[in-house]
Amino acid sequence: MSLNNGQSLNVGGQDFTKNGGSSSRAPWEDARTVLRPSTPTRKPKSPKPENAITIAVSSRVLFNMEKEQQIYEQQGMEEYIKYQVEHETEPFSPGPAFSFVKALEAVNAKLRELYPESEELFDVVLMTNNHANVGLRLINTINHHHLCNQCPCIQLIFKDNLCQICEPGIAAAIMFTPEKMKEVSDTQLRVAFDGDAVLFSDESERICKAHGLDKFFEHEKAHENKPLDHGPLKGFLEVLGKLQKKFYGKGQRMDCPIRTYLVTARSAASSGTRALKTLRSWGLEIDEALFLAGAPKGPMLEKIRPHIFFDDQMFHVEGAAEMGTVACHVPYGIAQRVVKKGTKDKETPNASK
Amino acid sequence: MVSTDQKTDVKEKEADCPVVVAVTSHAVFESGAEDPDGLYVGGIAFPLLQALQKVNERLLKENPAESLLFDVILITTESQQQQESSRITESIRHHGLKVSRFCFSNEEDFMENLLNNNVHLFLTTNRNEALQGSQKGVLSVLLDEHTASCPTEQLRVLFCGDAVVQSEAGPALASKQAAQSFSAQIGKMRGRFGPFDSPISIALVTSRGGRESCGDALRTLRSLGVNADEAYCLAGVPRGPIKRLLRPHFLLSECFSSN
Repeated sequence: MSLNNGQSLNVGGQDFTKNGGSSSRAPWEDARTVLRPSTPTRKPKSPKPENAITIAVSSRVLFNMEKEQQIYEQQGMEEYIKYQVEHETEPFSPGPAFSFVKALEAVNAKLRELYPESEELFDVVLMTNNHANVGLRLINTINHHHLCNQCPCIQLIFKDNLCQICEPGIAAAIMFTPEKMKEVSDTQLRVAFDGDAVLFSDESERICKAHGLDKFFEHEKAHENKPLDHGPLKGFLEVLGKLQKKFYGKGQRMDCPIRTYLVTARSAASSGTRALKTLRSWGLEIDEALFLAGAPKGPMLEKIRPHIFFDDQMFHVEGAAEMGTVACHVPYGIAQRVVKKGTKDKETPNASK
Repeated sequence: MVSTDQKTDVKEKEADCPVVVAVTSHAVFESGAEDPDGLYVGGIAFPLLQALQKVNERLLKENPAESLLFDVILITTESQQQQESSRITESIRHHGLKVSRFCFSNEEDFMENLLNNNVHLFLTTNRNEALQGSQKGVLSVLLDEHTASCPTEQLRVLFCGDAVVQSEAGPALASKQAAQSFSAQIGKMRGRFGPFDSPISIALVTSRGGRESCGDALRTLRSLGVNADEAYCLAGVPRGPIKRLLRPHFLLSECFSSN
């Protein structure tokens, strides 16, 4: 399975400790992993190159490594490695990304049934900042959980200082662990997206922040027919849509194994229109659009039960996590409290992909 | 569930001997090139030699009495170079490279010199020479232009964990033993340093097989006393990008060959 021209999404990991603060990151560890842009590695032989959708997941979100992380923070790297090696045959328990990856597998299984020759499948890459010594424990864990039996090429990357692998110009998302994860479907992959600064650019949010809500509504109404610019996660929605069409093509519209949701603070009555028109102009479909008109997203997400939810505002991410949804923070746009110039450059969305 | 075997096979006596690395003058100097003083210009193996030197410096810093060091020999492999002995030694000195011995041999006797000097690793840019070395049981590595752009501050070794991937010099039974022995020495050297800021970096790549393949390779390395810093289980994905990222000075695959 090739990475050639694949759409990629990396989901990073950072533990969300129980008392509400995010755990401090070790300086050597950048838990945020990033989207890899398609890198043509060699000329495709066939006229239509097949795309694999590559999803890279950090080991710390795939599995629960809280205890080990504590050891690292309190006792240092050598003790951490020693501990990992000593417990090599003890599998980790599942982390927040586990059910997401299982759902990807379920989709792969169904795609294989319908299109046995196709390579358009999810391709999972496990990336970890861990020392290679921890690799064996991770491999043992993957075997224990029967993970990725449907992803023939689970690739593993064990390296510290992951930043070197991730190229600039890629979107990133940080996954948070809800205190109590709600049960999700294991037959249908559900992905929920915020609108502004996630699927769309943050242009409207800027107006809202600078000039207030009224001005925002005015502006959106006036520009209703002008598509918003794209945001960092547009590409992912696009590939999901592509896979969905493959299911529709085989008559599986009603119980499609992939379902997408837009969960936005925009309201159906006014500003929501522009969002829908933008999606339409991109040729993208979304299965359900929830216009909350500013209401908290947590309860709604709890009803939908997505495997993963992307939002640019920590307020919403926290709100979602509080109610048991696995939420990811997309550190893009005007909403970020700490704007580092370098980081922002890294996270410019890659337009053509 | 498989646990690992922590025992290493390295004899204590062996571990304290220097690691003898022979490099051909063709690899060290660019052929046909001269600087204004008539001395040779640095070639493909230059950064590698500098990295080896760096490792030695750091090893001695950790322990001034360290005996597990790289011992670099420069070897000529053809009569023409054999004639240029003084220019070669001058050039070495000029470039600040530390070479302990010079073996001015030619095509016929260079192999003998390698064997007599108990060489653990033979570096050359000539495929035939690498093959010859390999056939005589000397771990031989063919360097190419990629080596020229490798870092000089850190020695990077890449282990290729798939038996399918053979080194350019071709497999040889005796070579496997030499490879394992050398790997154990490298592993031991690596162990002299902590997880960060090490002058040696060891990476493992498995190209074809899945995670079992990677797991097996990690265990094999561990049994040799080698703890990899990084591991990549590519499971069919092209190796090119990873190699470009890692910029290893050389690749070793003989440890994992099926014979």
